This record gives sequence, structure tokens and C-alpha cells, in this order.
Amino acid sequence: MRRDASAVRRSDVSFVVNPKQPTDKVEMATEQRYNVAVPDEKIQELRDKLSTATFPDELVGAAWDYGSPLTDIKRLAKYWETGFDWRAQEERLNALPNYHRSIQIDEFPALDIHYLHQVSDTPDAIPLFFCHGWPGSYIEVTKMLKGLKESHNGVSFTVVAPSLPNFAWSEGVKVKGFGLKQYAETCHQLMKSLGYDKYVSQGGDWGFYITRAMGLLHPEAVMASHINMIRASAPTWTSHPYLALKHTFTPYSDRERKGMERSKWFMDEGQGYRLLQCTKPQTLGFSLHDSPIGLLAWLLEKLHDWTDNYPWTDDEVLTWVSIYYFSTAGPAASLRIYYESIHHTQNGISRDRTQQWIPKVKLGLCHSPKEITVVPSTWARTLGPVVYEDFKGKGGHFAAHEVPDEIVGDLRKMFGKDGPCYKITEPHAKL
Amino acid sequence: MSNQIRPYKVAVTEEAISTLRSKLQAATLPDEVEFSDDWDQGTPRSEIARLAKHWADGFDWRAQEAEINRLPQFMTTVELDGFGQIDMHSVHQKSEKKGSIPLLFSHGWPGSFLEVGKIIPLLTRNADGLSFDVVAPSLPNFGFSGGSRQRGFGIAQYAEAMHKVMLSLGYNKYVTQGGDWGFKVTRFMGIQYPNHCLASHLNMILASEPDMVKHPKEYAQYNSVQQTATEKQFAERTAWFMQEGLGYNILQSTKPSTIGFALADSPVALLAWIYEKLHDWTDNYPWTDDEILTWVSIYQFSTAGPAANARIYYDIQNSAARPFSDQVLEYNDKVLLGLSYFPKDIHLPPLAWGKTLGPVVFEGVHESGGHFAAHERPDELAKDLRSMFGAQGGAASVAARFAGTKG
Repeated sequence: MRRDASAVRRSDVSFVVNPKQPTDKVEMATEQRYNVAVPDEKIQELRDKLSTATFPDELVGAAWDYGSPLTDIKRLAKYWETGFDWRAQEERLNALPNYHRSIQIDEFPALDIHYLHQVSDTPDAIPLFFCHGWPGSYIEVTKMLKGLKESHNGVSFTVVAPSLPNFAWSEGVKVKGFGLKQYAETCHQLMKSLGYDKYVSQGGDWGFYITRAMGLLHPEAVMASHINMIRASAPTWTSHPYLALKHTFTPYSDRERKGMERSKWFMDEGQGYRLLQCTKPQTLGFSLHDSPIGLLAWLLEKLHDWTDNYPWTDDEVLTWVSIYYFSTAGPAASLRIYYESIHHTQNGISRDRTQQWIPKVKLGLCHSPKEITVVPSTWARTLGPVVYEDFKGKGGHFAAHEVPDEIVGDLRKMFGKDGPCYKITEPHAKL
Repeated sequence: MSNQIRPYKVAVTEEAISTLRSKLQAATLPDEVEFSDDWDQGTPRSEIARLAKHWADGFDWRAQEAEINRLPQFMTTVELDGFGQIDMHSVHQKSEKKGSIPLLFSHGWPGSFLEVGKIIPLLTRNADGLSFDVVAPSLPNFGFSGGSRQRGFGIAQYAEAMHKVMLSLGYNKYVTQGGDWGFKVTRFMGIQYPNHCLASHLNMILASEPDMVKHPKEYAQYNSVQQTATEKQFAERTAWFMQEGLGYNILQSTKPSTIGFALADSPVALLAWIYEKLHDWTDNYPWTDDEILTWVSIYQFSTAGPAANARIYYDIQNSAARPFSDQVLEYNDKVLLGLSYFPKDIHLPPLAWGKTLGPVVFEGVHESGGHFAAHERPDELAKDLRSMFGAQGGAASVAARFAGTKG
């Protein structure tokens, strides 16, 4: 397994045992700490490329309509080159509980997976799997970590938040055929290897697709899922007669109408990146790898378009983009999940399948007004047994980052006392 | 209207060449994996590595430039309604024979005026009393024409610019040949200037399914006749393109500025972006490295810069622009049409569909060839044009209108 030795500093292997956990749950979890340590040469390479960057011409009166504007990219590029302090950000990242371990799934070579593992030491802790998407990363969970650790409403959460294969500090996949099923199995294996036979999940973007696939593959393990990006179709008479009836005779609410406008905007104006990444990731990969301003423009457009007036600071943006630039597998690798998920579907584990009814896994829905696809409630309820649903007044695609208190609140309501999934991960849990 | 025509020779600055070289030398490529050379996923890594090295060390731009400059080129400034002046670069080769048919050749993306190179001698020579004067401009925002920094430079502006190039060269009436953007631009010229644009030959056919009421004959033909083996092939090729090849198109139609940064900043990015099409859209055309790099260099060294050309997609095909530009798919009875189908092109509708575009007086279905017809199959394309405008051809009446002119 190829690893850039200079980028990874491992401390000695340490044994972590949580004395408060019931003994039938605990395992001798051998966990290896992970330290983010981007080599100096890599930082210098970035600065050199930025200092010699050639910018395109300025289109007058375009704002964000044609894509990332020149003035924003120029300003951010300058700061990235001369002011942005990656080492300071790196230090902050290293204050998080970073670990890594080897995960191997059937028919594929083992991969070194980086993950955050924050153990809650209250007796009512349940394991929560947090799955990021694109162009996000594991750090999207950061603002929720403190809240999730504390016991509220009779529940707290032990959090596992990996970098997906091909992203951030996890290893890249070097062989073909690593599709949605493989991402899901890798994530499930991670939870299992940490001793979590039963767990719950939270996710959006690829986190939606992967946690849904995990629920399909391992209904014995994934007890419940909370999702903040909801992809679903209208109920049909044959598959969901009750919902179809409701859908036909209930007028759309104001929220739903606005949501459909938002969805239409995304269909009309926002599909290019996905179609390209699903078909020619390699062609695009050269752009993202060789040109930092190319990468910055590619990602910034989403951070702007997909959020609800989130007040990104320059440091925030550049930390997010730097994680892609400095990632172990490189920014081109992060696109491959799109291609593989379309071209390598196995055992019926596909994007389309995850947008249909999945039994057993209790579902919690977070409807965010500025998500990229906003569906009516009757559509959302075709996804599975919905036990929790909330309609947010604000928030977009990166819900955990934009409105972390909302997501933490949802999880506490869903899994806390009097909630529909109280004690769900316990063997004798009643719902 | 000041439209002084001045002779032009391509003369890229030393600075541009040395900047290109140093960027190539500093270029970094994605990690090698098992599938890095899989054309299905995009331009192969080893191809880019090889071509980038050659582009930096071996490729002789000045030699290519000298070769390009053997084509007679001109620059003319045209005034566009509401969009100001734009410098239009053009190849202009007159036939020796007076009264030749003025032919506007319109390139597309990721092509250029260079695509006309091989067919110029085939069209300008006098054979069977038929010859053409060939005009091949760089579209605005492409090649060595100026660009526009105003948003909304749409199909009407592209058509106007091309039309005014013809006028400035003294061609009040003319015919057109085009594929890719050449299809839409020349079709719109036929809508906007039907007294000037008398006939159009097209080699990438975009057409809609015949409507029963609007095109009863074509509707009947399409629905009653069995799909031929050729049309089956066409449908497969088109389906492949729609499924696997549309990404660049939707992206540039919605967010051209976003991709523009990488294309402006990284020659390796630009090379991959364009070379993928040169490979995928052609019929096993044996591209030489010099050919590829010359085509890409035209984008690298273009007057408007490598990011500007993607905007043609947004301004003509964005959802807001479509209702206006989709006029090009409607029947235009004023312009005689010639349609040529090359089996490895990217969009190949059933033959009945093409007839909904206008009075089709020539139809040629070829056994081989792809998207860049003039470059891949110059003999066939020239033959098609000679057939269309020749004495027995469907557009002979148009040819006759030029026969008496002073040329």
C-alpha cells in the first residue's frame, strides 16, 4: 500500500478502551492516531503555481450566472498565495480526534482510511456515522462535535466521521470498479472494526447515497438514518397508493412550491459538473490537479450556489479547497465516485435504487430550503419508514456546516427520550 | 462603417510562447492508477504526459505558424448592433475563375478556421465550370478574432459578425458550409439574412422529430418506413454521445466561467479538454502530435484567450437563450439545404428529421468520417458541395446567380 511517508506521522499504536461502555459492546480498539502534515514542498508548489497563475478575461455584468466570478477568484488566489496560513489551519485540524486504519472489503485491496472518532463518555451514547460528500469533507462534522458529545434529552453520540476513499487523508483507489456498493461496504466495515455492530447515520450529498446504500446492504446494522439532502420521486399509484392519493389531492405548500423552483434551477443550471464528473472525470482531473485557481473556481461555485447565504470567510473557503489540493490521492481522484457510481452498479446498489423505498431503516428527514433538490413531503416519504421530519427556515446543501445546531437538534429529537428512535441501537430497543 | 480590410499574418508573441513553455515544464499530473489510460474516463494520462513534453520541448510553433500563414488571411473590423466593434480574422482564398460562388465556411468547437485548410484547393479550383471563393473566419471569441466581454453575445451576434465579414469582402450574396457551431450560426444567418445567405450545406445535423401537422410527409416517412441499418448505427452513436459525451456541453452551457479558469491557467488542462474530442469525435483519424498541438495552440494563443470560447455555449444554449436560438431547428423555406451525414459524428438523427429544416436539395450519407468532416474527409465534403452546386445539382440555380458576376 503506497503511502507518502513524509505526509503521515504516526504516533505509537495506542489502545483505547471506554470503561463506561457496556462490556458486550466494547472491543479492544487498536487505534492509530493520524496527523495531518502536508510537506513543505507541496505548500511551496501551491504558492509557485498561484504566483504564476494566468487569469481569464472579465465578463461584464455576469455576477455568478456564468460561474465563479473573476474578482472573487483573483482576491482569494492572492490571499491563498500570500496570506493564508495553512499550518495554522492544519494545527486546528490536528486538534480533532484524527485516526486512520486499514479497511479491506471483498475483491479490493485494503485502503488506509482516515476518520474522526469522538467517543462520548455518557452512558446514553449511541454510535453515529457521519458521511460527507463532494465538494465537502470530514470537517463538515466539526461544528457539531461538541454538541453531539453532550447528553441532552437522554442521548449523546459517539461520532465516527471518515474521509471517504479518494478524499482528504484517506487512500485513493487504484483499481476500477469501486462503486457505490464499495464505498458503503468500506464505511460499514469501518464501523464494525471499531466495535459498532449497530449504529445510526447522518449524511447529505454522497452521504445520502452512501448511508442509504449501507442501509440496503446492512439493515442489521444501520438502525436509522438522518438525511439532509432528499432525493426522491413522486409517489406512484402502484408503489405508494396512499402517498399518491395524498399527493394528488393536497396542494403544494408555499415551501414546496419554492422548493420546486429551486430544484428546477438546479436542473436547468446546475447539472454540468455532475454530468462531466460522471462521464469524463479524467479529463477534468488535469484541470483540478495542475491549476489551483482552476480547483478554487470549481469548488467555490458550489460553496456559493449551494448554500443559503452562508457567510464564508476566506479562511474557511481556502481550508476546504486546500484539503482537496493537499489530499492524499489528489483532487482528480475525488471525481471518480461519480463515474464509478454510474458505470459500476452491483447487486442493484445504484443511485437510483437509493432514491426508492428502503425497508427497515428508520428515516429522519431534514428539509433545507436552499438544498439543491427540494422535494415535496409526499415524495420524501417514498424513501422509507419516516419517523422524523423537520422543515428548516434556513440552510442549504452543507447543513451540518451551515446550521449545525439544527442537525444536532434533529438528532436529539429523533434519538432522545420520547423520540421515535430512543435507544435504537440497543438489542432490545422498542420503537 | 469602417471595415477596412487589412492583410493579416498570425504572429504569436515570444512572451506567449515562453509562458506556455514554462507552464508546461511546471505542470503536475494526477497520480497514475490502473485506469489512467482508459479513454472511457477521459484523456489518458500517458497521452497528456507525452504531448505536454513534446509541446514544451519539441513542438515548433513558429514552423506551424509559417505553415498557417501560407493561407491568405485578413482582418476586418465589423460593427455589431448593440455590441460595438469586433475585429474579425478570416482566411480568404479566391478562385482564379471569376463568378465563383462565395462560400462562407464556419468552424465550431474545438475546431478553428484551420479546418478549411484541406478543402480550400479542392473548392477553389475550376472543375466542370464550378468553383468557389472560400471565406473561413474565426468566430468571435475564437482563434484570432476579437472577443466580447459583454454577456448575452448570442446567436444573432455570431451570425451578424459572420455576415458582415462577407459584406466587407464584397460578397453581398453567398452560400455557407458548417458543422458544430457552424450549423447553428449558418442556420441563423439563413433566418436573419435570407436575401444574402442563399444556400447552406451542413455536416452536423441537428433536427427535431417531424411533427404530424407541420411536416406530414416527413412524419409519414419516419413512421412508416423501417429504420435502416445505417440509421440504427446513427441512433447508437447518438445515444453514446448523449450518455457519455454531453458533459462538456452542459457544463459550458451553464458555467463556462468556472471551467474557464483552468483552461486559461493550465495548458495541460486545455490540452486534455480539447484532445479528448479530437479522439472521441473522429473516425480513427490518425492525428499526428503536431496536428493536435497546433489545434490546441490556436486556443492557447487565441486573441480572446482560452476561456472566452466556452461562452458561446452559454449564450446560445443556456435555458434562457434556447427559446430564441432554437429557431434554427424550424423549417426555413428561403434557404436551399444540403445535408451530409458522417457516421462517426456526434449527433445523427434519422434522415427524415433533417428534412424538417428546409428544402433539402442534397443529401449525402457517408461510409466513414466523423465530426470534423472538412479535416477528416476533405475529398468527400468537396465532392458533396460540387454535387450540390453543380450543373445537375439541387442548388444549381443558386450557382447560376454568381456565374455572371465579376467575382
